[in-house]
Formats: sequence, structure tokens, C-alpha cells
Amino acid sequence: MTASAISRPGERDRLPVKISQIDWRLAGLIALIGGAGAMMLYSVAGESWAPWAANHLIRFSAVFLVMLGLALVDVRWWYAAAYPLYAVGLLLLIAVELVGETRMGATRWLDLGFTSLQPSEIMKLGIVLALARWYHGASAQEAKWHWKLIIPALMIAIPVVLVAHQPDLGTSLLILFTGVAIMFAAGLSWRIVLTGVAGILVIAPMMYFFVLHDYQRARVDVLINPEADPSGAGYHIAQAKIAIGSGGLLGRGYGLGSQSQLNFLPEKQTDFIFPTLAEEFGFLGAFLLLAIYGGVIAISLRIASLSHNHFGRLAAAGATATFALYVLINGAMVMGLAPVVGVPMPLLSYGGTVMLTVMIGFGLIQSVRVHRYLELPKSRGVI
Amino acid sequence: MSDRPTIYFNEVNERQGSFLRRTFLLGGAALAGLGVLGARLAHLQLIDQRRYASAAVANRFNDRIQVAPRGRITDRSGVMIAGNRPSFSVSVVRDVTQDLDATLDLIARLLPDTAERRRRIIREVNAAPRFVPVPVKTDLSWEEFARVSLFVNELPGVLATMDEVRFYPFGGSFAHVVGYVAKVNERDVETVREEGEEPPAVFYHPGFRIGRIGIERSLDRDLRGTPGYQRVEVDAEGRVRGEDSDGSRTATPGEEVVLTLDADAQNRALEVFGEDSGAAVAMDCRTGDILCMASAPAFDPNLFVSGVPSAVYAAWRDYERNPLLDKAVGGAYAPGSTFKPVTGMAAMQQGADPNRVIVCNGAFYLGRRFGCTGRHGPQDMKNAIKNSCNVYFYTLATEIGPDAIAAVARRMGFGHEYDIGVGSQNVGLVPDREWRRRNPVRGDPNWYPGESPSYGIGQGAVAVNALQLAVYVSRIANARKVVMPRLVKSVGGVERPLQPFEDLGYDFEKMRILQEGMEMVTDAGGTGFRNSQLGLGTMRLAGKTGTAQVINYGARGRGRGGDWASRDHNLFIAYGPIDDPRYAVSIIVQHGGSFGGTVAAPKAREIMRTLILKDPELLARINAPVQPEAPETSQ
Repeated sequence: MTASAISRPGERDRLPVKISQIDWRLAGLIALIGGAGAMMLYSVAGESWAPWAANHLIRFSAVFLVMLGLALVDVRWWYAAAYPLYAVGLLLLIAVELVGETRMGATRWLDLGFTSLQPSEIMKLGIVLALARWYHGASAQEAKWHWKLIIPALMIAIPVVLVAHQPDLGTSLLILFTGVAIMFAAGLSWRIVLTGVAGILVIAPMMYFFVLHDYQRARVDVLINPEADPSGAGYHIAQAKIAIGSGGLLGRGYGLGSQSQLNFLPEKQTDFIFPTLAEEFGFLGAFLLLAIYGGVIAISLRIASLSHNHFGRLAAAGATATFALYVLINGAMVMGLAPVVGVPMPLLSYGGTVMLTVMIGFGLIQSVRVHRYLELPKSRGVI
Repeated sequence: MSDRPTIYFNEVNERQGSFLRRTFLLGGAALAGLGVLGARLAHLQLIDQRRYASAAVANRFNDRIQVAPRGRITDRSGVMIAGNRPSFSVSVVRDVTQDLDATLDLIARLLPDTAERRRRIIREVNAAPRFVPVPVKTDLSWEEFARVSLFVNELPGVLATMDEVRFYPFGGSFAHVVGYVAKVNERDVETVREEGEEPPAVFYHPGFRIGRIGIERSLDRDLRGTPGYQRVEVDAEGRVRGEDSDGSRTATPGEEVVLTLDADAQNRALEVFGEDSGAAVAMDCRTGDILCMASAPAFDPNLFVSGVPSAVYAAWRDYERNPLLDKAVGGAYAPGSTFKPVTGMAAMQQGADPNRVIVCNGAFYLGRRFGCTGRHGPQDMKNAIKNSCNVYFYTLATEIGPDAIAAVARRMGFGHEYDIGVGSQNVGLVPDREWRRRNPVRGDPNWYPGESPSYGIGQGAVAVNALQLAVYVSRIANARKVVMPRLVKSVGGVERPLQPFEDLGYDFEKMRILQEGMEMVTDAGGTGFRNSQLGLGTMRLAGKTGTAQVINYGARGRGRGGDWASRDHNLFIAYGPIDDPRYAVSIIVQHGGSFGGTVAAPKAREIMRTLILKDPELLARINAPVQPEAPETSQ
């Protein structure tokens, strides 16, 4: 009955049908990660709901509802919002440059009076939607190799440069890689891709010497030789590795990780929550978590591939790329495979802004799934 | 726009097909990335687990060293010479204070004098190991301590504690012989390394002190004890979260050291020296126990415990009477006339008759004129000792030569270093022909007869220290045994075994000649008569005066006046009582000036009186009713 009923015109727009089209496996895995986060935050606070675990759980519940709500928003609304959101994000980034609030040596915040805002977070979503919309209107050939590609390239480059200048290397790289991933998924010529890879290999060392700030360079140095300065810049990585390594196969037991309980692990509630989990739950626990992240990524990309409209495909793929990059960068960072760049483990780490950004991304992905049969004309007003 | 359906669909298919392939690649890349993370996880957690687990334990537990209470040092009757006293102190722990400058500012508000030592404090704090408290100020008054304690909870990394510090109740009296303790420095660490050992961890504890000179140094390992460890669980800020009593060990206090010294005699020695510079050594001439070994002027060893202010140290260092030098063993001086009994014994050993009479006309000629202290006329050996007649001993020395004198000098105790636990001994010099061969004068390795007369009266190259002089007079007093000095009576309750002494090997009759000569010195008409009377009934001392020339006499008049540094050294050796010798004493007064026994002898007498009055046997003799048949008492 369902198959025939659902194909009836107008049937898909009914709310109960839409809700039934939400990918509940994905929602379940996301909830599992959020719950694991709350559990770890309870542990690192010394078996206490305060100050993090309770907040985390409340926020997660709220943004989970936001995700469900956004899942029901028509893809055409996302499409319509793409450029305006990008424009607002860009204006706010410029505003930060001019009147931003400086905390801990970085100018990332805008003081709105009642709350402070990180415009770079808006840009994470804005870049995904704006690129998806641009490629939606572009032909296969234009996506592959065309002078018009200068437009998406600039769309990526401008926020990347602005964010890097704050300086916030982590977010800047995240935006850059997300944009590049979307360009790649949209069908960028292999020749360009390979040239780009070769170019990075040449430019990266030059970046190291001429562009990076001293503290950023120190982080790279530490990655190459972490034992050089175990109490200074290498301290974070060294302590995180001790935490992970001492967990062993089965872990030291919930609430018994001495590295985090005794504060040897810095930023244990945010960027370094994963080592705590690895310390207390061992290889089995940590590997299971990675597998869940892998499942989330795989399901999300599957959703992207099932969409009937190009905007939905690219938007879902882009949002997934952002999420995957969070996971990979944070994982590599805490295990000593990448420099410390201040990227949290999404949904596991304490922190509302990133959680909101990521969950809006999942709202987008769910929306793409709910509206996967929607055909969007290539270039016309959709609403 | 003419949209041809086929092209439209192809275009859409092309975009979709490309997207699917690319997304599949992206997904593969993401999963591969996760796979790399998983592999890394396996590497850290499964392969290197052991290494990181032990690193976590090392992080978590902190073995806090507790310095053992240092062993006490007492005199022969248990009077404390070196002990420990409580001290309130304020310390700073580097890794807990977020801002050292701000913390020191706050401390300076409570303890204003710390501001002056600020740079030194910062240097010490930065040099200390992690989580080790560094004292900012020690010996706080109760009010200061209370004031700091009130605020200590608001000052992160500041501790107010009660520690034990080394304490020398007699101040300078024992400064050289007992020595002092001080903070471990680079040289101490190097010394330990040179012995092929690793310096113990306790060396780096700011509360630990190492023995620097004297007994504190030579018995440092016994006195030090074994440090304890308190294994505590700490967090990253170094705050103690709990204690692991299984991993802890309590400190074992250092051993108590009992010396042969007598605190009263030692204090008396410093007292009688007053401002004079020199040394006094007193010994039991039957056991060899050193009862007094003082060097004057002295310094306060308590100042070294927490660090001597540089102005004070400079004053000590620059003072011409050199309080930092241990003159009892560290300074060698010409023995002067106190050496004459050696020459006498050497002559008798060469077959000379002590009753032989040599006429003193006030001078002796051998290439040049050798003057005497007077015109003594005919002298036998006893009288020559009594009158300190130079001519008599010039003659003997010239006849027997340096090697005979050197042999007796060495047998009598000169030219040796004594293993008593006090380092930096200056062994002085006992010259002979062999020495001259190794130390030629302007390329000439021969000993000329013209050098012997001076040698015979203890001048020239011969040099001795006060301890050797005391050993020498002990052997004369003992007359039978090679008395060896001993300073350490027991360590940790274990008595240091007394070695049986060798026989001296000189005929008792010959020794009696020397003794009788020295008895006459302190009797009416002798050079030391006036200043060596004990005033204890019939009990008397025997002695020998000595004056050692420091410079060639010129117009300045026999070295008695003039500036301090050019005056003669004044010496006196004595033993007593003469009928049953028990104590021997040697005094060197550096640049004491004044001929004969006027400066040194009273000092010897006072020390000797102290010793005799503390000796129950001798005291009984003094207090015994006077024997009616004693000729002295019959009118």
C-alpha cells in the first residue's frame, strides 16, 4: 500500500509521510554518539553531571529536535537560502575582521550584545549550500573544466583567507577541504585534481616557513618530533598518546582513566575527549566509536547519492564531508598524526556551537533524504 | 533555449554518474582515513600499551622525597654540638603558581624582606625540579608565620611549613672541626660522579644539606640517614589527591656521632684566644682522644645552613686573621723552640751524652753568626731545654745533621697526616737531605752544614701544625707509646675500636731527660714559669715555649712589635700533671709577638685547668687532704 500511496501526488508533502521518510538509522547512530559524549563528560568531571555532562545532554536533545525539524524543510527552501546565507556569513566574517572581539589572541567572535557569535561556523554551512547551488546550475562540462570555475574557487578562497587571518587554522582548513571535496564530487577534472595535489606538496613547505604563525609552526614541529618539548608544545600530544595507549584492549574502566581524572590531559572535555574514551574503554570502545562514525558517514553519502536533484546530492555530500573532516582531523590530531589545530570531535566533545553546526548539517542531509524524489529545474526560481 | 530532451537527459546522467563515482571515492577516502585512525589506535593501545601504561603511572604517582633528620653530633659526654631545630618556612612550588612574579609580590607584602632577595629566589625556584617546594624565607617568627598561614590558601603554590634545620648551639666554637652543612652545589654533584656514582635524588631537594668541612663532611653518609619517600597520587597541577602507603617509605634518621672533644675545653679555648689568631689542640696522652681542637678566630657555621650573605662571607675572606682557615690542621708553622726536644732526642739517639756541657757565649758561628736568646754559660741538655738555649741545640744539630733530626721528628709525630676525619690537613714539612735533593736551591741539591743550626731550633724549612704538635707532646708525656690521635668516639652507638699503640722505641731514661727539661721550663727560672702555674695545689704542668720567626729581623726589632703580620708566632706545648701525665696541649698564636711563654702559655694553662677540673680522679687528688710529710708544706 505504501509504495503506491506514496507515489500519489501531494502525498509526499504530508507531515506524517515526511517524518516516516527521515532516516532513523542515521538519527539513531547520531544519538548514540551524543549519548557517548554525555557519558564521557560525566566521567571526566569526576562522575558528575556538572559542569559538562548535563549541559551536553540538554543541548544535544535541543539540537536533535532542530535536526528533525530541519529534516522537514523542503529542499527548495535550502536552495533558496543558499546564497543569502553565504552572503550573510561573508559579511559577518568581514565584520569580525573590523570589529571582532579578541579572545586568547584570536579574533573570531562577534559580540551581539546578548551572545557572541562565531561567523566562521555559519560559513561552514554557507559554503556547502552556496557551492551546491552554484553547481546545480552548472553543466557537467562547466563543473569539469571551465573558466567559470573561478566563481566557486573564489567562493571558497575568500572565507578561507578571512578565517585563516583570525587566525583559526582549523576552521579555515575545514572550509577549504569541504569546498574542495564538493568541487571534486561535482566532477572536477582529474587533471586539475592531480595538479592541485602536486601543488600542495610544493606549497606546503613554503607555507610552513612564510605563512604560518609561530605557534602554528611549533605545533607542526612537535608533530614531527613530539619528544623535543614534552612539557611545552608537545605536552598535549604526549599526554593524549599516554591516555590512549594506557587504555589497552579493554580500557581502564569507566571513570578510572587517571590521565583525564587527574587533569594530565589538557582540554579533556573538548578537543581531547576521544583519548579519554580510549583510555577508559580501550581499543574495543574507541574502535566501536570510529565504526559508528564510519557508519554515519557511509549512510550520509548513500543519502546524497540517492537524491534526484543535483543540489541535494552536493549539499548532502558537502555536509558529510564537513562532518568526516571533523572526525578525521580530530582523530589524527589526538593520536599524534596531525598538528594540534583545535578541531573538536563532533557530537562527542563539549561545545554548543560546533554541535549546532554539525546537527544543522544532519538536518540538511535528512531533508535531502526526505525530499530525495524532488526534481529541481537546473536554473530557475524554484519557489 | 531549445532543450532537446535527449541531450538534457544525457547531461543530467553525466552529472549524476560522475557524482556517484566521485562520492564513492570520497566515501572510500573517508573510510580509509578512519581505517588509518583505527590502525593507529591499535598501534598505540595494543602494541605500545605497556609503555604508555607505565608513563601513565609515572604521571600519576609522585614519589615525594622526605629528607631524613640529620644525625646529632655530641661531645664525649653527650653535650650537643650539632643538632636540628624546627624552623617555620614559606616555600613556593613553581608548577603550581601560575604567575611567579605576582605570587612573590603578594609574599613580599606579607614578608617585606623577601623583596630584597627576589632575584635569587626566582633563580632558585626556576632551578628546582617540578613540584618541589623552594623555600622563600626560613626561620619566620611566629607572627610572620601566622600572617602567611592566614593567606596561604589564597596563594596558589605557596606553602607554609615547619621543617628541621641544622643548628650549632655553640656557634663558632666547633666551626672548623665539626664543620657545617650547606646546600648541594655543582661541585658536590661532580664529586659524587667522579666516584662513579649517580648523585642521589635527595641532593636536589631544597631542604637537603650536605656536610661541607670537618666531621660533617667526613661522616656525611652516616649523618645523612636514608631519605623517605611518600608516594602520592597527584593531578597535573601537582595537587595531592591521595597517598599510596604501600609505595611509601619513612625516612631513617642519620646516625648520632659522638666525638672525643670536650665542649667545655673547646669553648674555653675560643674564650682565651679572644681576638688572637691561632689554634689550640688538647689530647689525652694515654688514649690519644682529642679533647679540644679549636681554631681562632672562628665563624658562625649556622650562617652556612641557609646561605651566607655575601657581605658577611667577604668580611671573613678578607680579614687578615683568616677565620675560614682551620689553623689546627690547615696551617703549618715553624715550631720554633718547641722543636728543641726533638733535636735533643736525635742527638741522644746518635750517642750524645745528655750531661755533656756546652758553653753558651750568646752566639754560635758556622759561616755566619747564629744568635742565642741570651748568654747562658755552661749548659747540659735539661738546662738547655729549660733556658731554651739556642747555642746548645745549634751545636747538636750541626754535629748530627738533618737526617737524624728528621727521623726523630717523624717518630714524634711531625710530617704526618692523621686520619681523624678532618680534611684539608697541611702536613707541614720535615726537611732532610732527601728533601733537599728533590728541592734544590738554585740547582744545588746538597744540604750544607750551615742549614743545620736553624733546623735544630725549629726554624728554617721545618713546618708543623697544631695537631702534630699536640701528638708530639702527647708522645713525650706518654714516653712509651706512639700515641695516635682520635676524634670520633662512636658512630650510631658503635664505638670506634681503639688501635693498640706501637712502642715509641726510645729509652725511657732518654725520654725522662726531655720531660725533666720541660718540667724545669715551668719551674722557677724557666722560660714558661710565670704563665704556666695551674694554681691547683701541687699539680704542675711541664711545657716548652716557642717563638717562630716570621721575617728576617731588620730594624723593626726582633719581631715583637710592628704590624701584626710581621710579628713572631708564639707557641707553647704542655702536658700535665707532671707526676702522672694525662693531658697534653699545644698552642700556636699566629703573630703573637712577645718572646717565650707570655701569649701562648696562659692559653695552654686555662685549657689544661678546664680538663683537669673535669677529671674526677685528678679532682679527687686536688681535694684530698694535704699530706703532712710533704716537704713543700712544712714551714
